[in-house]
Amino acid sequence: MKHNLFLLSSLLLLGACKKDSAEPTTPTPEGFTPTAVLNDFAAHVAQDNYDDLAGLSTGLHDRIVAFSTSLSEADLALCKQQWRDTRLSWERSEALLFGPVATESIDPRIDTWPVNFVDLEAELSSGNAFTAEYITSLEDALKGFHPIEYLLFGVNGDKTAAQFTAREIEYIIALATDLANLTASLDQRWDPATENNYTTVFSTAGSGSAEYPTQRAAFAELVNAMAGICDEVANGKMGDVLLAQDPSMEESPFAKNSIVDFTNNIRGVENVYLGRYAADGTGMENFVREHDLQLDNTIKQQIASSISSLGTITVPFGQAIIEQPVQVQQAIDAINALATTLNEDLLPLVHQHID
Amino acid sequence: MSAVKPRFQSFRWTIVLVCVIALSSCRKEPEAWSASEEHPWASGGSQTVFDVGAGAFSHGFPQMSATANALHDIGDMQFEQTFVSSPAPVNPGLGPLFNSVSCTSCHVGDGRGKPPMAGEQPISMLFRLSVPGTAAHGGPLPAPGFGGQLQPRAIFGAQPEAQISISWSEEPITLAGGEVVQLRTPHYQFTDEYQTFPVGMMTSPRVAPPVFGLGLLEAISDADIRSRSDEGDADGDGISGRTNEVWDVAQQRSSIGRFGWKAEQPTLLQQSAAAYNEDMGITNPLFALESTYGQPQFDGVNDDSELTDSVLHAVAFYVRTLAVPARRTTDDPLTNEGARIFSAAGCDRCHTPEQRTVVNVAFAPLSNQRIFPYTDLLLHDMGAALSDGRPTFRADGNEWRTPPLWGIGLTQVVNGHQNFLHDGRARTLLEAILWHGGEAEQSANAVRTMSRPERQALLAFLGSL
Repeated sequence: MKHNLFLLSSLLLLGACKKDSAEPTTPTPEGFTPTAVLNDFAAHVAQDNYDDLAGLSTGLHDRIVAFSTSLSEADLALCKQQWRDTRLSWERSEALLFGPVATESIDPRIDTWPVNFVDLEAELSSGNAFTAEYITSLEDALKGFHPIEYLLFGVNGDKTAAQFTAREIEYIIALATDLANLTASLDQRWDPATENNYTTVFSTAGSGSAEYPTQRAAFAELVNAMAGICDEVANGKMGDVLLAQDPSMEESPFAKNSIVDFTNNIRGVENVYLGRYAADGTGMENFVREHDLQLDNTIKQQIASSISSLGTITVPFGQAIIEQPVQVQQAIDAINALATTLNEDLLPLVHQHID
Repeated sequence: MSAVKPRFQSFRWTIVLVCVIALSSCRKEPEAWSASEEHPWASGGSQTVFDVGAGAFSHGFPQMSATANALHDIGDMQFEQTFVSSPAPVNPGLGPLFNSVSCTSCHVGDGRGKPPMAGEQPISMLFRLSVPGTAAHGGPLPAPGFGGQLQPRAIFGAQPEAQISISWSEEPITLAGGEVVQLRTPHYQFTDEYQTFPVGMMTSPRVAPPVFGLGLLEAISDADIRSRSDEGDADGDGISGRTNEVWDVAQQRSSIGRFGWKAEQPTLLQQSAAAYNEDMGITNPLFALESTYGQPQFDGVNDDSELTDSVLHAVAFYVRTLAVPARRTTDDPLTNEGARIFSAAGCDRCHTPEQRTVVNVAFAPLSNQRIFPYTDLLLHDMGAALSDGRPTFRADGNEWRTPPLWGIGLTQVVNGHQNFLHDGRARTLLEAILWHGGEAEQSANAVRTMSRPERQALLAFLGSL
């Protein structure tokens, strides 16, 4: 998945040369201590992002329920917007795809693509009661963001309120309930009040955490998560589809939301780097600025360049791979450049300076 | 020329001197690293990576050409693809019966599966089935109506073969020093079977094993594996060990089994193809018949292969080129004491620390690597308590293949659990050790009777792998 790690074997040589002094007990002018970065990541990025995701998912459920009684175009428009808002929060959280979202298989249960259309239509035609238990038992390709998207927006993205069948309404309410439950459980897994929560796992890195025996391991986790989503966006979500020239492989095609999804993935990387979501905390940024201002500058420029190059794609992604391949390739290159910096410059810096 | 040479030599000496100064300013760790790429810290030889986080098992070989990397990436993408019911524009062909919808949903993070918790369906665990007798080539005889594997999931309109629920009973084991460990035993109940199970049907639970480093295991020579086999225990050390001899579908010949909990698959290509077919219901060039063929739920569609030859090979290549994470804390005295105890307790007699891959001029990244997988790839009698009572080629119910231990200390961070052994019954490495019986009983007894600090050292060592 990532290929630049061999460099690290040689960089470990450098890592052994790090200064012997212990972690400074008083924050530097940048406000940097490794513990602060980890604590603020957990409190200001992970918790806030997952809080937001859970709240927006509940909001999506509530708007869909409201639409189910009114069946008005206005309420349907609100549902569509709420889906986009919820999606934004989820895509940003994809820059932190480790811990419970991965180990408890929450990601595939809310964000599997493609949708199993044959079975979805069969479910709608059936008499199956869409109870919470039944939805839980369904395959991943029949629930989560994309089936909800398909039902809300329709194949061409222009579905009207009048086109909804009673069964579709029943199904989409049940799917929204399931999404709200799963995102709430994800949120809870990072809640410091919950037993075995991941906030504690992360912030006790190097002092008792079973997952992260050192703070270096937790820092590296953040870098790998950032680089990982860059790789996924550039080479998976975009590169593979561009290469295949196959619009049917596009994720989020019904809402025509793919470019927004990709942009929010990179915004998520920015959030992890800066240590902020709603509020700004101590981030990886503060660590980098203490050691290498040029690298901080490069990373910020490459984040900005990734986002701006995505902005030059002016048609939906499925169309862009045919009509604007140059712009798509430029965005891929910009994001890959960011991934390379994270892998080849930031990760070695972590190994050099964090114990 | 003669005038130039001394100058060049003095220049060279300057470089050496600078290097020596640079190295001497460091502490001692780098010497260990620079000594050799083949240091035991580098579990995967030069295909070792240095990630200790959630992605530790998911890195491609660091020493590989750009072309090979590109193929690895294609396989990576395919490994993550979700299959759906036909007809569909993307990834059709799922089922009609299946265990899972993608490779990655069982092999999360390319790592280890686990048994389901109360009320959950098994996601990364499955049950092999057979009836007494043997199939062609000596393999297990599929259970009529059910096949070689229980598929508890189905596409719309088909009926899952059965559902599974697991209950657990616990038994305390007291160790020297008074520490008490609870060992839990699984009890499986099959319900809602779509038709009656055949008389005498045997079942075998299997959690998904990690998939990294397997290319290196595939590259160990048959001769090396056979050289460690001691079928009649000629040396009288209580440990025998023998190869499984299985059927290679592509080569149409018998071959050493290397992969799977019973070493029932000879190659990664066949392992991948069998998983597509049995786990997802995806027909492919190696297994062209639907897994439901000959069963009441066979849909009668003899369609084309649902997976192309190139995708199958790309996925096999992906698995073949997944790198091995380096060991950690190898300069910790506790870890080194644990390594000594590992050997003293005889663990290393099956969990062979070191192997070497064959010279491979066709694909250099796998060639002639000194690796530290901690397995002999042989079958060993592990005792009645772990037996599944189900023969698989030469492996009888009590026999299991020594699983590699490399990377085992990263299971928690990658997979969020520490469920070990073929059915995930062990909840810690210590529990896994204490379950060892049969040929390994003497080692388990040694761990039972050793002092608590010694056990802690042993566990620290295992955690460093």
